Amino acid sequence: MSAARVANAVRAVFQKDVSQELRRRVAIVAVFFFAVTALALVSYAIGPFGLRAEDRPALQSALLWIVLFFAAATGLPRAFVREEETGTALALRKTVPANVVLAGKTLYNALLFVAVAAVTIPGFAILLEWRVASPLALAATVLLGGVGLAVVSTFLSAVVSAAGQRNVLFVLIAFPLLLPLLLVSIAATLEATRGGMPWTGLRVLVAYDGAAACAAYLLIEAVWEE
Amino acid sequence: MSTPHTTLSAERLAKSFSGPPLFSGLDLRLDRGLLAVAGKNGSGKTTLLKILAGLLRPSAGRVLVERDGRPLAGEARRLAVGFAGPDLSLYAELTALENLRFFRAAAGSPAEDAELRRRLEETGLAGEAVARRVEEFSTGMRQRLRLAFAGLFDPPVLVLDEPMSGLDTEGREMVQRFVAQARTRGPVVLASNDERDFVQPEHRIELSADASRRTET
Repeated sequence: MSAARVANAVRAVFQKDVSQELRRRVAIVAVFFFAVTALALVSYAIGPFGLRAEDRPALQSALLWIVLFFAAATGLPRAFVREEETGTALALRKTVPANVVLAGKTLYNALLFVAVAAVTIPGFAILLEWRVASPLALAATVLLGGVGLAVVSTFLSAVVSAAGQRNVLFVLIAFPLLLPLLLVSIAATLEATRGGMPWTGLRVLVAYDGAAACAAYLLIEAVWEE
Repeated sequence: MSTPHTTLSAERLAKSFSGPPLFSGLDLRLDRGLLAVAGKNGSGKTTLLKILAGLLRPSAGRVLVERDGRPLAGEARRLAVGFAGPDLSLYAELTALENLRFFRAAAGSPAEDAELRRRLEETGLAGEAVARRVEEFSTGMRQRLRLAFAGLFDPPVLVLDEPMSGLDTEGREMVQRFVAQARTRGPVVLASNDERDFVQPEHRIELSADASRRTET
């Protein structure tokens, strides 16, 4: 396929996933319900004054990513699993190249993550009186961290889609792969909170996202087509 | 310009899951006409059809789809074999038309709605049915949509697993017309438990739960 045809095919997969979700609203409701519940729990349990001033930036950065990660983990792994569960995987395998499906679903998951972050971060900032000195650095960190989460989660969703005990398997495989991404994202968020530009963290995130995307692209055919 | 000649062949095909093989040493070569695949439940009909359609890897042997003597691979191979079977579902949240539009676009071969409506009409899905979500479809309507999907890319090879299942008399006649047209263009592989579904097949494979008792004609 030419580049233009691939781009149109990827867009078709992305649009299909968006329309399905807007009509069904399973992932959106689950993800947002989780995000809101987690935010409420954190704010009631800790609140703005439950932490010492000097501990706040570090703990708030970690808490933010815990909320984002678990909220996203409610919806992101559904990408390929849903196709297997509903029996549509066969039709997809029969007609659409695996890398096109992967790219379309990764874009959809990235959008879902950005939507979760757009709701969670302002809520988090209000409820925990979280002040970010460098919002631009925070936006870059969340975007790059979100892309990495979307790439890895979408690929792993294809890996576990045909297996039994998918949820357990997903967590077991995802934990070691996503741990470096989360640690770097938390460190970069902390730096953004203090007003610095986390260049090293952002470079690591770009490298992580690039390496994960290349690995997923190279492996998806073997993983998805059998 | 003459129409390309497409053949479907299998060489020493075998498949086993965890137990004994469902079948082994299976050879076939089809250029036009109907191959009837018969056999009791659990004899491996669906597995064989999925292997022929490129949806499952055989444990041994290989399947070739050749156009004018040259083997097809990748995208060309995938779209050259149309498939419909009971475990193939289309998107319940989308309408029949949206489903076909999606698969054509995602395969890199978008089509006009008029063409897609014509395809749906050929399988008996016309009027308001085209704009209804698949989740509202009856079993028979879903089966008709599967057939529209199988023929969506005008594949020279058709692999149909229980295509008449859930259909009324009119639906069965529609499938027979669909198969009659397709078998003049290229090979059609049809599996069924009902002998009435096989109309004068040129070839026949009878699978048995005991792999050693397979018969081919």
